[in-house]
Amino acid sequence: MYSAVYSGALCGVSAYLVSVEVDIARGLPGFGMVGSLGCEVRESRERVMVALKNVGIDMPPCRITVNLSPADVRKEGTAFDLPIAIGVLEAMGILPSGAGEGILFLGELGLDGELKRARGVLPVVRAAEAGGVRQCIVPKANAKEGAVIPGIAVRGAENICQIMEFLTVGSAEEADAVLPVQTVDIGALFEEEVSGERLDFGDVSGQREARRAAEIAAAGFHNLLMVGPPGAGKSMIAKRIPGILPALSLEESLEVTSVVSVAGLMKEGEALVTQRPFRSPHHTISQAALIGGSSYPRPGIISLAHRGVLFLDELPEFQRIVLDALRQPIEERLVNISRVNGNVTYPSDFMLVCAMNPCPCGYYPDRNRCRCSEAQVRRYMGKVSGPILDRIDLCVELHPVDIAGLKEKAGAEGSASIRERVMRARERQKDRFEGSGYRFNGDIEASCIDRYCVLGKEEQDCMEQLYHSLKLSARAYHRILKVARTIADLAGEDCIGTEHLLEAACYRPSLEYWE
Amino acid sequence: MEQIIQYKKEDPGYPERLKNISGAPKKLYVLGSLPEEGRLSVAVIGARDCSEYGKYVAKELGTALGGSGISVISGMARGIDGISQEAALDAGGSSYAVLGCGVDICYPEANRQLYERLKSGGGIISEYPPGAPALACHFPPRNRIVSGLADVVVVIEARIKSGTLITVDMALEQGREVYVVPGRLTDRLSDGCNRLIKQGAGILLSPEDFVRELLEGEVGKAARNLAGKFRKEEAGLAGEKRKEVARNLAGETRRKEAARNLAGETRKKEAAKSMTGESGKEAGNLAGGRQRGALSPELAAVLEALDFMPQTLEQIRVQLPEECQDKPITTYLMRLCMEGLAVQVSPGRFCCVKG
Repeated sequence: MYSAVYSGALCGVSAYLVSVEVDIARGLPGFGMVGSLGCEVRESRERVMVALKNVGIDMPPCRITVNLSPADVRKEGTAFDLPIAIGVLEAMGILPSGAGEGILFLGELGLDGELKRARGVLPVVRAAEAGGVRQCIVPKANAKEGAVIPGIAVRGAENICQIMEFLTVGSAEEADAVLPVQTVDIGALFEEEVSGERLDFGDVSGQREARRAAEIAAAGFHNLLMVGPPGAGKSMIAKRIPGILPALSLEESLEVTSVVSVAGLMKEGEALVTQRPFRSPHHTISQAALIGGSSYPRPGIISLAHRGVLFLDELPEFQRIVLDALRQPIEERLVNISRVNGNVTYPSDFMLVCAMNPCPCGYYPDRNRCRCSEAQVRRYMGKVSGPILDRIDLCVELHPVDIAGLKEKAGAEGSASIRERVMRARERQKDRFEGSGYRFNGDIEASCIDRYCVLGKEEQDCMEQLYHSLKLSARAYHRILKVARTIADLAGEDCIGTEHLLEAACYRPSLEYWE
Repeated sequence: MEQIIQYKKEDPGYPERLKNISGAPKKLYVLGSLPEEGRLSVAVIGARDCSEYGKYVAKELGTALGGSGISVISGMARGIDGISQEAALDAGGSSYAVLGCGVDICYPEANRQLYERLKSGGGIISEYPPGAPALACHFPPRNRIVSGLADVVVVIEARIKSGTLITVDMALEQGREVYVVPGRLTDRLSDGCNRLIKQGAGILLSPEDFVRELLEGEVGKAARNLAGKFRKEEAGLAGEKRKEVARNLAGETRRKEAARNLAGETRKKEAAKSMTGESGKEAGNLAGGRQRGALSPELAAVLEALDFMPQTLEQIRVQLPEECQDKPITTYLMRLCMEGLAVQVSPGRFCCVKG
């Protein structure tokens, strides 16, 4: 007897449909699996056999052949357990022929027949919906994640017996009673995000310029570098940046959820990631962990920070090779990983926030506390490669907070009102970049600067004077214009004014200060 | 390839100033030239890891010395040494570096540019043969040459325990006058200087005044000293050395003449300078007046709050009146930087520029 059911496999953050074909024939008893399978897919044979035995089904002494089609693409993961088991049951005649038709199955089986959570449910359900499948059965732990996709009925099952019952009962009502269709209220999820508890900028005492720089960076999606001694509040500010970024849109949220889901990091029962990601890897991180990869590609930290903030604390302590690998993903906003076993693309559209001490001891240029030699300071700063600095638009210096700054705490502005300003600035950018492919001021390339950052006569004179008096490079010049555009957007102005240019110039990153 | 010249102690070209110090080097290796005899020279020394203040003073002093034809002697180290020497060369003066390694070795490597410039703008001097590495034990002895080649030693920044103070000890032993740049009580980098002041060192209050004093008073004194020494030598000379005496005498007169010339020249220069300075100052005042007069009250208040020592934005902000607080003060500060009235030392620290 032959049967076929649908399942899905992952490729990057998207998925494609896989047809699981099972044939049972007379012959030497055995269980063969084909279709370019990873070793964990092969092991599925043992799990399926034992799980079926333990729910009371005797396997016949026949020759069972399983094929996962398309057979020339490498398949990984344990989520094929369920479709294989259903296919075997159908081929054995325990389930009526055609019972699983038009349904996509996904899930890992325990030896007692229990259904365990799977990786990448969201992309698979999305692919199923696009492929015309109308029903999915997934592990209960992942059901909400799948239910986010409209136009497809997703049911969550706890064990294989439930599914067998679902497939054998007569009427649709009875079937719904066994495995109800999972529903998710997306609107409520987003509301929860907006009203939910989060780290607030009101906790940051003093540091007016750093707060301002964070606001500008958030408004224009600029990359930010904070330099300051230990304990000045660099990490504190970085952690609060996701909270002043506008809330994720549904589309963005689906992108973020896909990556998290593919990485297998969804919490049990979580439907959507609605909070902006904030990832702060330790500085010992390897290149593969940051960028993504290993011999079987998995999303790295930069992809998990997609649409959110990637915070690199102690920037000079990172291995140079790791930092340099960031260059292309920052530029392209996606990362291509090519390995022997495949070639995948993950999104990596993140805001880079870096923090560093000005010298090994952290107190330079306070010569009363810092005894680092100039050479040491230079070496320390030199660890941050120029190409990374080239991709940073804003640089701000933090100083230890004194008592006056601590007192100011009570009056410090909270995240909510900063976020409002940021959102208004982003609205203006949306209008400006309509149909241009850009989204934020931080994206503007040098070739288009003149189109989007138009200067009046007075402003041009100001820039020229700045160019000479600050000895700017062409790149620094462009960066100031981009940041000034964002500052003007924050102020609600259509034209860039001299005060915007001057403020932007103050935040220009340049290593010459420490040389 | 540049020629490295060797001077033995008994050679005629050997610097007179060095001859009478204790432990005078037997041999000197020179790339470029030796400090001109009869021309006033000042050693500028200080910490390698100096503060912004130190850098500023070193630069000003180097410029003032170089601009008035006084040689700057130093050790070409990072920090004060290199900065003052560079400034002297920039101002068109001459400068001489005494190294703790062979003259063919540039140490520290970071001062390569200065090293190359010194070959033509002055000289690189060492008592160690070419190829000698920069060993830690070479540096304290070279300090005696730094002070020995100079008429006056100026200390800009020094911690309590520092190599700079070794040089000062040697300078005092050699009878050189020591001037010190005062600092704040709270700055560890000025502790050494302030202690020297307590011990009776001269105080340098302004580079220009210092240079003027040197040119007015000290030039004559230096010339007198030199002359006196020669007379003594002459008296002690035996008959067979008469030729040499004659030569010395001729040398002396030449030198005297040179000193006179120099004094004359400097007087002339000073006159010219005072004239141009006067007019320059006037022009500067006019320009400055225009600039400062044109400043809005907020900008003037911010400029008022700035100091020569770099201050953090927070430190500047607390000094400002209420009406400046609403706009980001970065805007005001950057405008001042643009006008050339302030300098952004690092992203979050500003200081004002001498107006």
